[in-house]
Amino acid sequence: MANEQKTGSPEVSKRKLSSGPLSKGDKWFFRVTSISANFAFVLVALIVVFLFANAWPTLSSQGFSFLTGSNWNPDAKHPVMQLGPMLWGSLLIGFTGVLLAAPMAISAAYLIVYLLPKPAARVATTIIDLLAALPSVVIGLWGIAVFTPVAVNWAKISNQLLGWIPIFHVKDPNAAFTDSPFIAGWIVAVMIVPIITSVTREIFSQMDDGLINGALALGGSRFSVFRRVIMPTSSSGIIGGILLGLGRALGETVAILYVLQLSFKINFFSLLESRGGAVASWILARFGEASNSEFHGLMAAGLVIFLVTLAVNMLASFIVNRAQPWRKN
Amino acid sequence: MSNLTSRQPWAQSSATFKLQLAIVSTIPSVIGLLFVILGNLDFSIGLIGVFLPIQVLTVAAFGWRKAKRRGLSDALLIFFTIFFSTLVLVLLLSVLGSVIFEGFKALSPHFLYENNRYVGTTTSLEYGGVGHAILGTLLIVLLTTIAAVPLGIAMAVYLTQSQSKMRGVVRTVTQSLAGLPSVVAGLFVLAIMQFTHIERSGFTGALALFPLMLPTVARVAEESLRLVPSDLRMAALALGAPNYKAFFQVILPAAKSGIITALLLGLARVVGETAPLILTINMNNTTNLNPFNGPIASLPTYVYSFLGSNYSSSQQRAWGAALVLLIVVGILFGSARILSRKKSLKTKPVKKAKK
Repeated sequence: MANEQKTGSPEVSKRKLSSGPLSKGDKWFFRVTSISANFAFVLVALIVVFLFANAWPTLSSQGFSFLTGSNWNPDAKHPVMQLGPMLWGSLLIGFTGVLLAAPMAISAAYLIVYLLPKPAARVATTIIDLLAALPSVVIGLWGIAVFTPVAVNWAKISNQLLGWIPIFHVKDPNAAFTDSPFIAGWIVAVMIVPIITSVTREIFSQMDDGLINGALALGGSRFSVFRRVIMPTSSSGIIGGILLGLGRALGETVAILYVLQLSFKINFFSLLESRGGAVASWILARFGEASNSEFHGLMAAGLVIFLVTLAVNMLASFIVNRAQPWRKN
Repeated sequence: MSNLTSRQPWAQSSATFKLQLAIVSTIPSVIGLLFVILGNLDFSIGLIGVFLPIQVLTVAAFGWRKAKRRGLSDALLIFFTIFFSTLVLVLLLSVLGSVIFEGFKALSPHFLYENNRYVGTTTSLEYGGVGHAILGTLLIVLLTTIAAVPLGIAMAVYLTQSQSKMRGVVRTVTQSLAGLPSVVAGLFVLAIMQFTHIERSGFTGALALFPLMLPTVARVAEESLRLVPSDLRMAALALGAPNYKAFFQVILPAAKSGIITALLLGLARVVGETAPLILTINMNNTTNLNPFNGPIASLPTYVYSFLGSNYSSSQQRAWGAALVLLIVVGILFGSARILSRKKSLKTKPVKKAKK
């Protein structure tokens, strides 16, 4: 092999090159910072351990049906706590929210980076970031008082026009339209648009100018540049951003609690019917009157939603970091 | 970059083009509005059923006339971009507008400083206010800040200054902590309270906000430390300064406004958190200045509790408190924005006049 030629004498060992903090002050400086950095791991571990310890009574008695079954009767003689509809509802709302938010977010990012002049783009960025800073209780208040009537209207229109599609189908018009996963999905979309936008904007704005100008010079139009140059190079970053938004959507609590009727009659995909689920909201809704056995059940629910969001977020930040090589030091 | 058409003479548009563009972009909305007003059509139906198809058709026809298929796809791309962005803007303005409009009805000087000692769900708005909730929020968030900000900055230092191989993993974990569901943070502290038998107080609320604030501070501080040119640090090290002196005397002053931005954005992140506080504090109606003992009020839980009742005066209180919360967030966010703006102006190279 080529390596053998280079190292003629095997006795010559590689000199170990290392640099470390020289002074005592530096040693402490790096020690303190690395301890604080590792605190991130400690925090995650602590959360898992504490939640798991409190969730164990429920998890051991309910087994795997805690995730799949659909029944919640914690105060029976043999308590039954099965989270299925809530978990499915969280996913349903999360995906609805992402489907609604992604076009808005990508459009806003494209507008900010490629269409608006600089000062207007700065204003638009501020507006989007402001949307991210709105507390979820405020969004929930708006959702129940202002947005719900409008969204009910939209829901009725889409039911009339698209009722033949299963997701827009409604069995009983009296138990539909208000408090539906459709509205919850919109509320969640409002909350995750800024997250997806800011990741997408970052990726768009770091795009190689030469690539775009080259495509334009070759006769590309705006659309073909968008379709063939911008989207392929930034798609992985955008997917990462969308996953970040999904993670946020899955954990959303207060705002959904206001606009959704939580029900253990599982709602697979009828977006417009007035029953749905969300794990985080369920925890908050039940918490006030929880008995001891239900307390453990809610802890188990918290553990589940934590692990799900942690997995989604880890994947998302892994993808986003991979898609932004310029952010490596 | 942000403006592809600048310095591109071939992209200059003529006056007739601009006129046609103006006509194409106004006619469909006028028709839609006419349908809504004269035809007594519902606004949403008018928007989706009348305006959208006509607008898409006119835009497509306009693009086709200009440059056949290329023009068509370009025109549609730009139209949908603007349409969806406008939707975002409308949603945001609707949130802000309704909170400001409804909140102002409840707002009065005494609403800001009085507490709710003798207030029930039906008490008229002339009595009581959110004074105790503002103080409670300030105390809780202050406690969180004392713990989260130094730790977050230390994390950011680790991520930018050290050469450790673990940085990538730490960054990923920190970022995924940023997506921690707020209710889980509350449950976590609740589990700790079960274990250690700590009573509910402002302190436990602050503890629940801590894991939510930490990643935000760490991320923003990391961004701002990264903006400091590495030459500065290298020069300091080359002059013989140890790393910690280089950090405290060179890098930290250079990144000062960024660090304050991190603090402010972290505050804005947690000041409106509701779920963790509902789980970990007992709400009360009177002023409590001791965060380590007894029930304590906060703005988000105030909104939450009054929204639960159906009486109009309670609803009004909820809107009023939401407006106060929004103002607090707005002040934090606005000052963070101004600080980071100044920073970016400073780091930009001064442009020389071309003439």
